[in-house]
Amino acid sequence: MILFFAVAIFLWMLESSLASEASFNQLAESLSNPVCQFIIWGSLAALAYHAIAGIRHLVMDFGFGEDSFESGRNSAWAAVVVAIVVIALITWWIL
Amino acid sequence: MVTTVTSLGRSGLSDWMIQRVSAWVMTSYLVFIIGYFFANPNLDYAQWAELNSSLPMRMFSLVTILSIAAHAWIGIWCVLTDYITVRLIGPKATAIRIIFQLGMIAVTSLYVVWAIDILWGI
Repeated sequence: MILFFAVAIFLWMLESSLASEASFNQLAESLSNPVCQFIIWGSLAALAYHAIAGIRHLVMDFGFGEDSFESGRNSAWAAVVVAIVVIALITWWIL
Repeated sequence: MVTTVTSLGRSGLSDWMIQRVSAWVMTSYLVFIIGYFFANPNLDYAQWAELNSSLPMRMFSLVTILSIAAHAWIGIWCVLTDYITVRLIGPKATAIRIIFQLGMIAVTSLYVVWAIDILWGI
């Protein structure tokens, strides 16, 4: 649900970044606002987790890691760990 | 309970396939845009507008928003048919589920039209 509404946030950012040079600069300015940063951080974090868990499924489509219950469990945890690292990188990038 | 009438592909196999293809499209868009931001840390308006107004990029963005629409339709259909069921929340479930489904389709359609408006309005 968060991601579904995050699409609106990303579209709004795309719109203001492309409408005119003035709105581009205005967007760049509002990105230094902590409230904006927090909302965008939340959206990107949700997207990162979803994308990484989704890429795990795409890897499994090719037959990797589906030989046992254990390997499925391990790759699920690996996806969680990778997502945490990526979310940390996103946090560092925003700040 | 009739559920297939509201699914995007009308069959589980077709929905599965659409979900995978749209996932690949969105993943490649994400990889491209992250790479682009890293390659151009001091991006200015002129360069950004030039990229997004080129035909290949418009096509890529349009296919991505269509993928988002299909992916969200299938994903939210799965959640609604799993949790908004007669067994879990009673006899009103089907009506509630249809309302949510229609609301989601309406918002998704707006996203697609909005994206087209943005991309071709540059």
